[in-house]
Formats: sequence, C-alpha cells, structure tokens
Amino acid sequence: MRIKVDKKKCSGCHLCEMVCSLFHLGVINTEKSAIRIRKDDLDSSQNIPILCNQCKEMKCLNGEEVREGLEKKRFIWAIKRAEQCPFDALTVFGENAYHCDLCGGTPQCVKVCTPKALRIS
Amino acid sequence: MVLDRKIAFIDLRDGSIEITPLSLDLREKFLGGRGINMYLLSRYYSSSLDPFSPENPLIFGAGLLTGTLGFGSRINITAKSPESGHLGDSSMGGEFGAELVKAGLSHLVITGKSKNPVYLLIRNGEIEIRDAQKLKGLDTVETQKRIRIELGDEKVRVACIGVAGENLVRYAAIRSGMKNAAGRTGMGAVMGSKNLKAVAVRGTLDISISEPEKYLRYYLNTLKKLMETKWAQALGKLGTPLLFKYANAMGILSVRNNQLTTVGDRGHHLEAEALEPYSTGMLSCFACPAHCRHRFSIEKGRYKGTKGEGPEYASIGSFGTKLGNLDLENIIYAVELCNLYGLDTISTGSYIAWAMELYQRGIINQERTGLPLVWGDGESVIELIHLIANRKDFGNILAEGPFAKKVFGEASHDYLLEVKNFPIEMTDERLPKSFALGMATSTRGACHMRSRPSLDILGLPNEVLKRIYGGSVSNNFSSYSGKGRMVWWHELLNAVSDALGVCRFLTVFSSPHALQYRQFSRLISLSTGLNLGAKDLKTIGERIYTLERMMLIRDGFSRQEDTLPKRYFSEPVPEGPARGEVILREEFDKMLDEYYRLHGWDQNGVPKRTTLKRLDLIDENQG
Ligand code: SF4
Ligand code: SF4
Repeated sequence: MRIKVDKKKCSGCHLCEMVCSLFHLGVINTEKSAIRIRKDDLDSSQNIPILCNQCKEMKCLNGEEVREGLEKKRFIWAIKRAEQCPFDALTVFGENAYHCDLCGGTPQCVKVCTPKALRIS
Repeated sequence: MVLDRKIAFIDLRDGSIEITPLSLDLREKFLGGRGINMYLLSRYYSSSLDPFSPENPLIFGAGLLTGTLGFGSRINITAKSPESGHLGDSSMGGEFGAELVKAGLSHLVITGKSKNPVYLLIRNGEIEIRDAQKLKGLDTVETQKRIRIELGDEKVRVACIGVAGENLVRYAAIRSGMKNAAGRTGMGAVMGSKNLKAVAVRGTLDISISEPEKYLRYYLNTLKKLMETKWAQALGKLGTPLLFKYANAMGILSVRNNQLTTVGDRGHHLEAEALEPYSTGMLSCFACPAHCRHRFSIEKGRYKGTKGEGPEYASIGSFGTKLGNLDLENIIYAVELCNLYGLDTISTGSYIAWAMELYQRGIINQERTGLPLVWGDGESVIELIHLIANRKDFGNILAEGPFAKKVFGEASHDYLLEVKNFPIEMTDERLPKSFALGMATSTRGACHMRSRPSLDILGLPNEVLKRIYGGSVSNNFSSYSGKGRMVWWHELLNAVSDALGVCRFLTVFSSPHALQYRQFSRLISLSTGLNLGAKDLKTIGERIYTLERMMLIRDGFSRQEDTLPKRYFSEPVPEGPARGEVILREEFDKMLDEYYRLHGWDQNGVPKRTTLKRLDLIDENQG
C-alpha cells in the first residue's frame, strides 16, 4: 500500500498534516506530520503534498542493520534517514524525522482530503 | 492546551509588552475570537473615542477552535471604526489566525502610536517590535515577501496594510496572503494610524487536544456529513461566485447603486462559469475542507499578467453590477488592485457607486471629480482606485467614505445607501425581508455577515423552519412573517461561530444540515475539555450580541438607527423579478418589535436591565 498524490487537486488545507500528528501523537502540530504541504500563499503556484513513497528499495536505511518491515511501521525516525531519502520525502522537525507508517493500515490523511489529492493505491 | 493560549497587550508608544493568560471565566463567557474581542473593546469604547487616536485599541482575536480541526480557522480584528465612527470588526480567513495560535497566543491588544513605522514579530510566545521603515509604501503582497526575506523564513505568516492603510483611507483593509482580508470597517486605517505596517507570526507549538481519539472520530463523522450537503459541494466547485447567478435571477443585486436590482440575461458575463477560464485551481483556508477559493490568472488582453485569488461574489457585485460594469476582466483587475493597495473592495465599490449616482444626477460634475464617472466605465474605476489609495485629487474626498457627505452637501445624502453610517453592499434587500432586517440591525452597520438569514430562500417546508428556529417563520422570502425571529437566531449563531473561528459557509447559512450549536458543543468539549451545551452556547451568542449593542447605545443609537436607506422604503424596485418590492414601514416595525422582544431589548432597542443581568453584562455596561 502507498499513498498516491495528485498534486493538481491539493487545496492546501493542511488537514492531512493536522490529522497525521493528531493520530500518532495526540496533538495537532503540522510540523510533526509525515506528510507536509509545500504551499506558497503569495504565489499562484501549485500546492505540493510530500510524503514517503514506500519505495521497494529503501535507500533511507542504507548502512543500517535493521528489519525493513519493522521500520516501515515506525512513525518517528532518525534525521539521518531523512537525509538519505533521495526524494527528500520525510519531514524533519526538531530532533526527529517523521515517516509515513500508513497509520497501521488506515491512512487518516486520505479521509480528510476532500478534493481527493490523496488516494490509497 | 487550547485554553492555555495567551493574550498580549502591546503599547506602541513606549514599546511595552505584557503577555498574560486568558482567564477561564472569560473563555466560558465569550469563548474567543469576536466574543473576547468585544469584551476587550467594550473596556475602551466610548462615544468620544476617536478611531484614529492612539487610545483606540486594535484587537486581534483568534477563534477558540482556530488552529484545530474546527472547520475554518478564522481570526477577528476589532476596533472602533474610522469608516463608520462606530463599532468596527472584521473576520479574516487564510492561515494567519492558525499561525498565531501555533505561536501560543490567541489575542493581541495593540494601543498607542509608534513614532516610526514598525512591525510586530511573534515567534512561539515571544514578541518583538521591529523597524519597518523599509516597508513603507509597499503593496500588501510585497510587504509580506520582504518580511519573509528579512527573517529568512518562508513560513512566516503576515497580516499587513498597504498604501491605503498608511494613508488612512477610512476603509483600508488588513491583508494576509494573496486575498485574505479583514476588509470591512477600516481596520487597516486603524493599523496605519498606529504606524504599524504588519504583524508577522511563526508558531510551531503543539496544540494539545483533550480527548484526541474521540475527537478525531467525531471530526471525521461530522466532516463526512457536511461534505455530503449540496451546498458544500457546490461551494467547493464554484466558490462564492455561484451566489451571483441566484442574486441576479431573484432580483436582489445592487445594480447602479440599487437603482435596479438585476441585469437579466447579461448577468451570464459575471457568473461563476464565466470565471472558469481564468481559474488555475481551488484553494482552502487553513483547516477548511470546502476549498471555496479560486486562483486566477489573466493570460491575454489588456490585463494580461494579472494573477491572484478570487474574485468573490461580494467583489464581483461591488465592482460589477453596482457600477453598471459587466467587463469581468476589468472587475478582476480592479479587485486585485484593491487587494494590493489594501482597500476593502465592498466599501470602495460602494463609494464609487455613490459618486457615480451623484454624477448622473448632476449633484457633482467633472470639475469636482476630474474624470467622467459614467456607469460601466471600468477605466475610470481603475483610475479612481489609484486616486483613493493615494489620497489624490477626487480620491482624497472619496477616501473619507461616508464623511464625504460633508463635502458633497445635503443633496448627496440619500444617495449614499447606508445603515449606521456604513454602506450597503453588493445586494439589494427590498425583496427578501429577512435580509432587509438583518442589514438594519447589524451591529457593524449595513452588513450581510452579521446574520444573513438565507434559509427561507431554499423553499424548505414551514415545519422544517419552525424546528430550526423554535417558532414559526414563513418560507416565503418576501413575507415579513417570523423574519424578526430568523434574524435574531442567525445573529446569535454567527456571533458564536465568529467566537470559535468557524467559517460562516460551513454553518447553518445556506444549508439546514450544516454545523450549528450541537456540533460546536462536541468539538469544544472534545478538544478543550470545556463543557458547554447547545443552550450555553446560544446564551454566549446573546451575550456577545447584546454587548455589541451596548456599545452602539453608548454612541446614542436606538430604534431610530435600526433602519434602511430611504430608497428601500420609498422606491419600489422598478423592474425585473423583484419588481414592485419595497419595504413597508409598518411591517418593518413589526419585525423590529419581534426582534427586540427575542433579544430582551426594550421597544427602543435598548437592552433591558433584566437581560443584562441574565447575561452577566452589568459590569461591562458600566465600562
Ligand atoms: S498515511 Fe498516516 S502516517 Fe502516512 S501521511 Fe497519512 S496520516 Fe500520516
Ligand atoms: S488534505 Fe488533501 S487537499 Fe488538504 S492539504 Fe492535504 S493533500 Fe492537500
């Protein structure tokens, strides 16, 4: 499973970021979300949702002796992994990186994305 | 915690800043946003308070639910209005309100006047006053960009004024992003009078939630139901311009300063569908699932290269039909120009319409205006916008808004359609009687957002209306019956939604299935832990509205000022679907009587002592 993004549809509401942090951490903090919206509110450029692609070959884990399957299920990651991601897909804030664990199988962000910019595939 | 958000008192005269907690008592009485703003304003308000004096407080107040999954994340900006000379208040969407909350604050009270231009920088609970000399004269978008560059942080959210605010144009707006505005009642002029160019905010704090799991579940459910309504779906597709078609078809548009109320078939030039070729996508405010906002770009022609957001229905009406103008590209350009200058589009359109009618009637001529003010002349309108914002020539007179009456003389008075010295908007209210009463009683002068009781235009069965309003209300929108009740009911609901920061469009406004007290109550308790039932919330709505009313009473207002422009009583709509409609004084008075009774105000519209006591407003009244 992965989340497919159709960026043309993203309205920039930030609801996905809000529920991602709420679901995992019990607080709302758009900085602590595995999905982040690149939005320039002073320009009419496209909003871009960015999150983990769930790559088959996990370059982010290079040099680590860990079980990929287990790591995939973790939300809070070390910053080093975000730096190794070729797509710059993880959110980094403070001491942590935030990685999409697909909410354990029921992605919350997809539920709040009313324009359907996010879809499960 | 949501309830831990603080309030900051900032005095620009000496630079002193005091940040303190907001008491739970105040939250329980007024929630936040417009509610707490009104409590604060009432402490400073008097009939002699000059809106341009340093003592006039400029108050920013994020809604109680702003920054949460609260269905929009709005902020109200409040002060005594330099435009009307009375109560000023305006609600703004976008991301600014939520950012303030993320920075740990919910309210700002700014008094004093700085010697030099400054801006405020707020970062996670800390406030700094910074030099803004270099920002002087910049438009509203450039101002925001420069501040981001100066701070090296593109996530800073900025609310600022443009040239119009700096020049104290009485209806200058405060703006954020490309289109969000606290537009009405001249809050940008108050900001300008303080030499305050901008407020910049960046917040990254957690917003902790009382019962996260239940809250998320409840939210998802409520969201689903809301998005199933036809209204939310249409709004998400077409945005507010969808309302233009209805208004035109019903004959409730302002055309040529309300001399007419429809443009018939020619209206299709300005309908939502006509905007589609310019649209580059829809956009949302922070935490809003409805995404009602257009982004546009004009690719060719005279206005090639114009880009931005909008225009909204209110602006299309104000620069379109109201001025006899059906040139959509010209309207889009005019609106964008106002946005950059930081001018309220509704008021700007209204004062230009007034001037055009005076010109039509020969009350003013080209000697005075310097340019021909002919209906539909979009080029002159553009020129006038430049002149107003820069306070040049004739623009300097129009920049005074209703106070220009003094210059134009007695004969001009009746052609400025206003209530409580504040101009009528893009619509005409002679047909829908609930709208008419709402305009007359609104606490900020002629304003459709204080109540806009529009459920009676949906053709719902009378029983449904009775269930919603708790008393009988006619489903015929041209009837007067029960409309006092309707207006009263919506005024309270809207006061509460403004106190929460919830967007009007997602509440019971154009759909009976949208949000109201029951949903508010659950969202509040699950996110903040405050237990306030539907009844408690309604009482808070009464408290806010009656407190606003008390400020108007201090200005010497009473029943006499709860009225409508003369044209509404004396000139039946001449043609179109609303033909013959006029407001009958006697029927209007009956609506007012019912309305006062429900509010607990006396025959003169003065809140009774028992009402003040019941609402715990005795102290505020003495303030
Ligand atoms: S699926 Fe879950 S973890 Fe992944 S981005 Fe969406 S909300 Fe966050
Ligand atoms: S919920 Fe959807 S529309 Fe909203 S910001 Fe996220 S991806 Fe964009």
